Amino acid sequence: MEKRKNMHPPKGQGGRKKRSGRQPGTVLVYLVGCCAALVTAYPVFYAAAFGLKGAEEARTSPSYALPREIDWGNYLYIIKESAFPRYFVNSMVITGTVVILVLVLASMAAFALAKMELRGKRRIQMYFLMGLMIPIQVCLLPLYQVFARLHLTNSYFGVILPQAAFGIPLSMYLFLNFFRFFPDDILEACVIDGAGICRLFAGIVLPMSRNIILTLAMMRAVYSWNDFLFPYTFTRSRDLQTITLGLRDFVGAYGYTDWGRTFAAVTITIVPMIAVYFFLGKYMVSGMADGSVKG
Amino acid sequence: MSSVLKNRKAAVLFLMPALILYTAIVFVPILCSLYYSLFQWNGLSGMTFIGMDNYVELFTGDKIVWPVLLQTIVYTALQILFQVGGGLLLALLLTLLVKKRAFFQTIYYIPVVISSVAVCQIFDKLFSVTPTGLVNHLLSFFNEALGMTEWLTTPGLSLVVTAFAEGYKTMGVYMVTFFAALLSVPDDLSEAAKMDGAGWLKTVFYVKLPYIRPILVANMVLVLNNALRSFDFSFMLTAGGPGTSSELLASYMYKKAFGSMQYGYGSAVAVLIVGICLVLAKFCMKQFDK
Repeated sequence: MEKRKNMHPPKGQGGRKKRSGRQPGTVLVYLVGCCAALVTAYPVFYAAAFGLKGAEEARTSPSYALPREIDWGNYLYIIKESAFPRYFVNSMVITGTVVILVLVLASMAAFALAKMELRGKRRIQMYFLMGLMIPIQVCLLPLYQVFARLHLTNSYFGVILPQAAFGIPLSMYLFLNFFRFFPDDILEACVIDGAGICRLFAGIVLPMSRNIILTLAMMRAVYSWNDFLFPYTFTRSRDLQTITLGLRDFVGAYGYTDWGRTFAAVTITIVPMIAVYFFLGKYMVSGMADGSVKG
Repeated sequence: MSSVLKNRKAAVLFLMPALILYTAIVFVPILCSLYYSLFQWNGLSGMTFIGMDNYVELFTGDKIVWPVLLQTIVYTALQILFQVGGGLLLALLLTLLVKKRAFFQTIYYIPVVISSVAVCQIFDKLFSVTPTGLVNHLLSFFNEALGMTEWLTTPGLSLVVTAFAEGYKTMGVYMVTFFAALLSVPDDLSEAAKMDGAGWLKTVFYVKLPYIRPILVANMVLVLNNALRSFDFSFMLTAGGPGTSSELLASYMYKKAFGSMQYGYGSAVAVLIVGICLVLAKFCMKQFDK
């Protein structure tokens, strides 16, 4: 890999087109880059800053202005008095369960399809991948009917099951891609050593799949945490709402929207996701890139 | 292969849980929807069999669904522009930002991890007119009239803003794929272009983009697929408004079913959505098999 790529053109003179192969000037590029970063990061900052405005200021001062005085009232309210801690717990339970469920089910099924003997493997694979095309809405109504009869409409399961089920196609797709390239000789060696299928799978395959498992876990966690439609449809009582639903709590209550509280809530909801993303993001990003370019 | 892996029973055992969950939650409801669509039903009292009447009503009587379909198509086109186009631009930008690339990539991906509810609420404020939101405030520096644009309450414009909101949130996903693809362009190709006197822009157009064409197409298909089913943004940001000018198929279906309690009719709309998705899927399969 030649080092040529890292040679910057002198002093950002991007205008001289006659220089063959010169990239646009460095200064210009970084300027654009920073503008893009500003645009993508601004909303988070906006929400965080807005949450710091006191009730009076939130109503009167222009929305884009920085808070004149920092008022932690909104944040404190969200953390202490509102139902948000409850929502947080709900979200954690649901997201956690969904992620584990999807990972276990999809990895086992994909392993069976990739490495084990079954009749009609191709067709089963296609069957699962079809799920990538299905619009969720078409399943909502019947599911709602069934869940209502099973008294699941106001429970964690009403949200967990659909989220997990719809996460299976994509997870299987990525696992399938991954397992296809998994070296057979390692499997052979373990079997010769006397490993049964469970030991083989749990002890050898899964640990070696750490990267893809982390990637999928991250993707599913973000999806489940941020999901709106399933919790919206399948939970009734306040107790069970997820944190994402809770964001709408302060909107239009009594005909008036408390934007200060709303944005404090938004910030509190976003922060865990961004924190997780900052620390584990490289798995999410690299795993997706691998899966799509290789596959 | 060894006997352990040939164990049929074990294979079935491994496959079953996922298969059962998937079939029960994804597959069976589709068949149910097909079934419901043949009835008139408000969810509470009895179901009346009306055969294809829902579909007849859908294709002839419903004045809203066809504009909605058109809007969905426009929305989809806009999504391709924003998500694929935006993602590609960001990816190209990343290839140029050699130093601190990881930093920039992290920042650009942030909107993806924010929930759509949050994005909608933020955009609602940013694009508001009364009180003046940030966008209008910035525009008013250029032109007073522009600064009064009613982004979310002007028919047509509201659809574009909604599309932009969803595109904004999702373009990071495609940025990642495109970036990986752009990096995989063999150096000798771009070096050869440089030797022939091509500037950066020409190299991009004539060497890199054609090289990643499969990824480009694949991403377009993905965006297409997702946009047809888009629900969150139109439901939350504009509630389909003003009137029904930014209504999309998926949110229309939801409103018919859960809002107006027309379960049978709503199911028919849902079946329509699936039909369109399937047709599209077949079409794309054909393209890929070429």
